[in-house]
Amino acid sequence: MKATAQKSLLSAAALLLAAAGLSACSGSNDNASPSDSSSSSASNSPSASASEPAPAASESPYKEKYDPPVTITTVWGVDPALKFKNGETIENNVATKWALDTLGIKIDSLWSVTDSNNAFVTKMRLAMSSNQKLPDVVTIGTGGDYDQLAQDLIDTGAYREVGSLFDEYASDKWKAAMELDPNVWNPYIRDGKKIGIPVLDYAYNHDYLLWIRQDWLDKLQLEGPKTMDDLEKIMDAFKNNNPDGLKPDKVTPLSIGFKMTMNTWMGDPSWVFGAYGTIPGQWNVGADGNLEWGSINSGSKQALEKLKEWRDKGYIPSEAALWDENKTAEPAVAGTAGIIPGPYWMSGWPLLDTAKNVPTAVWKPYAIPTGPDGKAGRHGTNFTSGVTLINKDFKHPEALFTYQNYLFENLADPAPGSQWDVGVFKGYDYDLDASGNPLYIDQIPGGDVNINRYWLVKDGARIPDAQMKALMNLADGKEATSRLEKEVKNNYGPETPAAAKVLLSQPNISFTDMFTGPATPTMKSKQDYLKKIELETFNQIIYGKKDSSAFDKFVADWKAAGGDKMTQEVNEWYQTTKK
Amino acid sequence: MRYLRRTWPFHLMLLPALALLIVFNYIPIGGIVMAFQDYKPWLHISGSPWIGLDNFRLMFEREDSMQVIWNTLLIASFKIVFNLLTPFAFAILLNEIRQKYLSRSIQTLVYLPHFLSWVILGGILVEFLSSDGGFVNRVLHWMFGIKPIFFLGDGNWFRFTVVVSDVWKEFGYNTIVFLAALAGINPSLYEAAEVDGASRWAQTRFITIPSLIPMAIVVGTLALGKILDAGFDQIFNLYNSMVMSKGDIIETFVYRTAIVDGQFGFATAVDTLKSLVSMILIVISYRLAYKLANYRVF
Amino acid sequence: MYRKTVPYRIFNVFNTVFLICAALACVIPLIHVLAVSFSAKSAADGNLVGLWPVDFTTIAYEKTINNSVFLHSLWVSVKRTVLGTAGILAVACLAAYPLSKENAQFRGRSIYSWVFVFTMIFKGGLVPFYIVIQNIRLMDSFWVLVIPGLVNVWLIILLMNFFRGVPRELEEAALIDGSGHFGILWRIYLPVSLPALATLGLFAMVWHWNSWFDGLLYLSSKEEYPLASFLQTVIVSRDFSSMSFSKYEFELLSQKTINAAQIFIGALPVLIVYPFLQRFFVKGLVMGSVKE
Repeated sequence: MKATAQKSLLSAAALLLAAAGLSACSGSNDNASPSDSSSSSASNSPSASASEPAPAASESPYKEKYDPPVTITTVWGVDPALKFKNGETIENNVATKWALDTLGIKIDSLWSVTDSNNAFVTKMRLAMSSNQKLPDVVTIGTGGDYDQLAQDLIDTGAYREVGSLFDEYASDKWKAAMELDPNVWNPYIRDGKKIGIPVLDYAYNHDYLLWIRQDWLDKLQLEGPKTMDDLEKIMDAFKNNNPDGLKPDKVTPLSIGFKMTMNTWMGDPSWVFGAYGTIPGQWNVGADGNLEWGSINSGSKQALEKLKEWRDKGYIPSEAALWDENKTAEPAVAGTAGIIPGPYWMSGWPLLDTAKNVPTAVWKPYAIPTGPDGKAGRHGTNFTSGVTLINKDFKHPEALFTYQNYLFENLADPAPGSQWDVGVFKGYDYDLDASGNPLYIDQIPGGDVNINRYWLVKDGARIPDAQMKALMNLADGKEATSRLEKEVKNNYGPETPAAAKVLLSQPNISFTDMFTGPATPTMKSKQDYLKKIELETFNQIIYGKKDSSAFDKFVADWKAAGGDKMTQEVNEWYQTTKK
Repeated sequence: MRYLRRTWPFHLMLLPALALLIVFNYIPIGGIVMAFQDYKPWLHISGSPWIGLDNFRLMFEREDSMQVIWNTLLIASFKIVFNLLTPFAFAILLNEIRQKYLSRSIQTLVYLPHFLSWVILGGILVEFLSSDGGFVNRVLHWMFGIKPIFFLGDGNWFRFTVVVSDVWKEFGYNTIVFLAALAGINPSLYEAAEVDGASRWAQTRFITIPSLIPMAIVVGTLALGKILDAGFDQIFNLYNSMVMSKGDIIETFVYRTAIVDGQFGFATAVDTLKSLVSMILIVISYRLAYKLANYRVF
Repeated sequence: MYRKTVPYRIFNVFNTVFLICAALACVIPLIHVLAVSFSAKSAADGNLVGLWPVDFTTIAYEKTINNSVFLHSLWVSVKRTVLGTAGILAVACLAAYPLSKENAQFRGRSIYSWVFVFTMIFKGGLVPFYIVIQNIRLMDSFWVLVIPGLVNVWLIILLMNFFRGVPRELEEAALIDGSGHFGILWRIYLPVSLPALATLGLFAMVWHWNSWFDGLLYLSSKEEYPLASFLQTVIVSRDFSSMSFSKYEFELLSQKTINAAQIFIGALPVLIVYPFLQRFFVKGLVMGSVKE
């Protein structure tokens, strides 16, 4: 690489820059680059778009290796399941050593906390309120309480605009990945400025399909369901004419639960709503092009009537209203459930264990059936799993791009034969036997560890469609050649490629939650109450305590109690994203 | 002067506890001012905007706030009463068992549920109380022919279940103070009663129960501090969308709206309100205990 | 003798049966946990385990015992429990003694007791507390698990009530003999309050053993967590909607049996100590014997 040839020159320049940075930084604002990309370093700048107008200077701060090293401070929420070996810690491990040796980037940990029961969010909030130093670079996940934390961190004003940095320093590969869905920036835009870099994740992770007991279908000589009517026939046969000879009251034909929401990731009932053209519990694009709350769409009423009918007939668990996601998996694993909705990766967990309890059990993935008008729907997945923020006092914001560009180039989807093709760190995520063949998982002396969680940014670098592409190749019978293909083949359940194919056979039925902005004022004060009356009404209808006309009253109440105002606020936000 | 000379050891003895209280309790109590702020962590207490009573208003503006407060009061008062009576009665009954091994084993066993968190017990309870072939419903059907009860899915039964399961979880642990108090009763009192030919019931009524009353007053008074504390962990793990209107309590409500959204000011306001109510109740019961029973609780 | 009477015997039979039933009702969940801990993973995930292990295996215990972090956290827990309990009892004895006096003998008593009780009800909240911990440099230190919990007002009040039961004559006699208050506390009050101290010690012990939130917040490295914090990081209801999946998550999802084993091991020490402390409740006759 050219970088090696220019190393001495660069290091001299880096020294100068470090000195300049020290004197220039005090009192400076979020001005993107103290110096910039210019002709002499254009070959090092990985981005073709580095030719944007920039103040004249002789050297870009961007380096492929920093000498002397630069320090990035960060904080960690460590996954409770994350393992370390050789006495390493999150602060000091093979990946931090690699960053220092290869890139000249020293990762310095301000603190870390084992992230369970909201410990990371709590600790971060406490750090914010007790004058502790905020890290140079921090990655916050999505979902649960993380979203609000990310928004609050942005509102502190301690983190800088990153859009210009991204345009200037990000590699083409990274940019291409980001452009798969430009909406990923939406939650992190303030007054038109991009404040955080979205962390990309594999697409379709939580889009779901139906897992059905193929051995039962075969014994009953039934085809997989195409429509809701087919599905009802199958459920009836599973229950009243069970192929394993189970008594009707012992069978759960369709294992779903809605303890706290009708829109979740496993045992989810939202596709029943999808058959009538809506998805509850999220913001969908309505007929008029504005966003609407899916639960108040008139399709929800029909879906609730259908669910009531199914409950009365015993197709769904009689206590479905008390069941959370893990509970819905129990009858599936025990071999008493016939159908369970869930992600394409479910054959790896939990369904792999069904055969241990019922040796004849075989689960196969099926597409979401269509409703009376030929509609089908499920909830979709956003492409992001978090956001990376850069402190405005951080003097080397470009160093993060050095780090991430390297990972996008070498880790995200490495070509066969490239340096990380077999694995990343020998003795950690792979090893070689005496004749040079790769060893994985339990074959590695001392066991393997998930080095993907050691990176500065969660999961290193992921290109949203890469994993699905790999799975599709496998499903089409291609031999696993690239690292991703081998990885999915080795690690995930046997039915996963087939399930991915089923999933992608219905690419247009996924409804993603279109509202990804910060909570609006009415949301903060009213949403909890609105959700409460929604779920209560829905359950009363499903359990026959009220007839379905209660739905119309609910919609009126919902609108009057703040729902209309919230919808208006959400649409105001939505307009700003469409520019 | 003479008084001080006599009591200086008392002050000295209280010094360590007092110093620790000031550092770890009284200084942080200053944080209550957050209840009157739109508290933003990055602005700190000194920089956060003052919003007067807005946080308190938010609590009462909710359409369902009265319902939530009523649920909390109802569930908490039943818990306080039964968490006092059950261990009290249990200690007396256990005291009647003369086989030392038996009584000690029972004591150890009843104490076990205290160690299991509600996360675990929640899962087990859903199983045991299922209306669809759960153990409890099967027993009830077999013994009394009762139709299956939807313990966790019906609002009124849910309240009942919450109180009973909490008492069941904690009574063994709560019995301990009463057992210790029983151990402190002078045996000669019983011997004298025996000589007078008093029946066991008479002995219980005139010796055992009166000796336990002071302890019961102390425990009961201090429990009033929890009058708006209906048990977050338990409800959070057991409640579901079916029983929201009868099972939602202040803490779950605060958790959903405030903690998740990082509204510290609002959470503090609710806490302060709870503390005020409990303080008033404790002062009242302290006075009552002194006036009626001539007993100083603390 | 009442014990010989027929009604009492009938009562005794019913009472015994009733209490045994109550005890059984309390022990069932733990038996279930125990059964899960000895069962195969697939059976546990399918919720097929009742009160007896399915496909008996001890692999969950082997994995737990071989986890060096688990063993270290066990040691941290023992340390905090021993030091913490001793500290709580020492502070409580010192504070409860003067508070147990009559108002006439110790005039500041009333004010002091309200100062104590007030802290039971009004709490400053997490944020100010955290700032205090940070400013007195307890962050990341083992002592953060012990020192903030040294004053337990609830236990002080209980002990004060026990102290009130100590006959005044003993104290007056000692005062005349020229003993100071420290001597009286040490030589008279403490020996006769053994059942009380055993009770309070048990409470303090259980509290220390089960506390997990402080470890999670104030210690930054998982290696130094006490057992309860460690268990919390394992037994969690995780929000899977935010999870990007990988085989590592699969492993975590299927830890039901290991969790069960750890719950059981976590509860074990207190269960073992309990019967020993129980003896003191029964031998509370010491105090009675000095009463006339």
